[in-house]
Amino acid sequence: MPRGVLDTVVAAETPEGVLLELRPAGLGARFYAFAMDWVIRLAIIYAVGVATSVMGGIGLAFWLILLFALEWFYPVAFELSPSGSTPGKKTFGLKVVMDSGLPVTPAASVTRNLLRVADFLPFAYGFAIVSMLVRPDCKRLGDIAAATMVVHVPRAVPRIALDEVASVVPARLLAPEDQAAVIALAARAPRLTGERLDELAALAAEVSGDAGRSGPAVTRRVLGVAQWFLGRR
Amino acid sequence: MTPLSFEQMYEDEWTELETALDRVLGRKGGKAAARSPVSGARIAALYRRACEHLALARARAYPAYMVDRLERITADAHQLIYQRREFGLARVKQLIAVDFPSAVRTHAPYVAVAAATLLLPTVIIAVLVYKRPELILSVVSSETATSFEHMYSPTADSIGRTRTATTDWMMFGFYIRNNVGVAFQCFAGGLFAGLGTLFFLAYNGAFSGALAGYLTARGLSTTFYSFIATHSAFELTAIVLSGAAGLRIGHALMAPGRQTRVQALVQATRDSAVLLYGVTAMLFVAAAIEAFWSSANWIPPAVKYSVAGVCWTAVFGYFTVQGRRAG
Repeated sequence: MPRGVLDTVVAAETPEGVLLELRPAGLGARFYAFAMDWVIRLAIIYAVGVATSVMGGIGLAFWLILLFALEWFYPVAFELSPSGSTPGKKTFGLKVVMDSGLPVTPAASVTRNLLRVADFLPFAYGFAIVSMLVRPDCKRLGDIAAATMVVHVPRAVPRIALDEVASVVPARLLAPEDQAAVIALAARAPRLTGERLDELAALAAEVSGDAGRSGPAVTRRVLGVAQWFLGRR
Repeated sequence: MTPLSFEQMYEDEWTELETALDRVLGRKGGKAAARSPVSGARIAALYRRACEHLALARARAYPAYMVDRLERITADAHQLIYQRREFGLARVKQLIAVDFPSAVRTHAPYVAVAAATLLLPTVIIAVLVYKRPELILSVVSSETATSFEHMYSPTADSIGRTRTATTDWMMFGFYIRNNVGVAFQCFAGGLFAGLGTLFFLAYNGAFSGALAGYLTARGLSTTFYSFIATHSAFELTAIVLSGAAGLRIGHALMAPGRQTRVQALVQATRDSAVLLYGVTAMLFVAAAIEAFWSSANWIPPAVKYSVAGVCWTAVFGYFTVQGRRAG
């Protein structure tokens, strides 16, 4: 599929021989997630700092240990939870997985987060940014070493809403990929403006025997063909 | 077969698998019914069926929503079935009793190089500064040098700190943050062909060497050495071990052998992760000793030296003997 060339989808093969598609998250999404986690951590540090300042030495010790724990183990703790993502990542629909698509292992999570030290150099996550921009799978150094990936959690694709369209017998037989293209057009129909839908349907008008014509009526017939291919006859 | 008749035919199996997955993973409304057990064998069987259906749906170019649904079911089930459980007390016990010490032994050459990189600069700089104490000024400012003297003077309330009002607990927190930071830097530096690791080891070695040489020349050796003797058994070893983990990574990058560089790197980090677990634990122990035991001025140096001897023997014994039988 030419999609493999254009898209950044990474395929992970399961032992059953099925390819799972993983969609690596790019610099933008990961930056927002990181910024949000950073703000959350700052807020915790500040709140606990105020609360413990009245307790003297022990309070300060607790605060320093918390600082240490948040610095190194905040991401680890959340990545090993069932959701596999920190609050920031969760908000932006991201998740950390192994290259195989499996949940991240404790060893991998610890290494990918300790290696932030290397990713941070020379300043402000410089190496991490370069690495993410250069690689199609958007990994930073820690991800490469730990064999992990930050992926978009797939969103559910809505069902095709074609109930009110009457089924139309296609004017000629189509190969499965062409049938899929017509069905995909029907799936996108609710998200397109009427004019754009008519334009696109005019390109496929041949399938309903309306080659060369366009307009809402032709569009309905093309969608009717999609209905027929789907199986409502 | 049309897409809709395909969906109709297998709808029941997919819904059953989806419900089972929701219950096991504790998602949306799945919790209410979580009481009754879910059959693992049934999930596995349904998962294999769903894989088959996904392959068919893709090959026949079925509509996106259907392929997508099958992809999500199979991905969830795949995660559930093949996940690795590495948690729990049994795993911790295994780590302490066998995995950590035997990982140290398998990395022995790296440990040796890391130890040499840390200790050679320490000794050389210590001797240099001992012979010519004014050299300390090329490492730190004169105020810092004076404050070091105050910290380790025998008349101080507690050793190793400037502010007497601070408590042991505060220093405990400070030592953890500081030392673990140094150790993790030594590890992460390995990604730069091991040069970062070598630099951090040598730098920290040289700095402590300068301090030791200066304080010895100033005649404060008893307070200083009785202060560091005990916790250094854990702290120095931990930093050497994290350096060893970093060197392992650097070596894998430079000489990947019959693997690609990335494969070698992944293998190296996987192996050395065990070292990092151990390093973190050791640094907690070291910070506790440093804050509560080493700094106590009322304990006579002779007692401190004997305890230090016991600790060093225990650490070395642990790494050389522990877990050999199981390995």
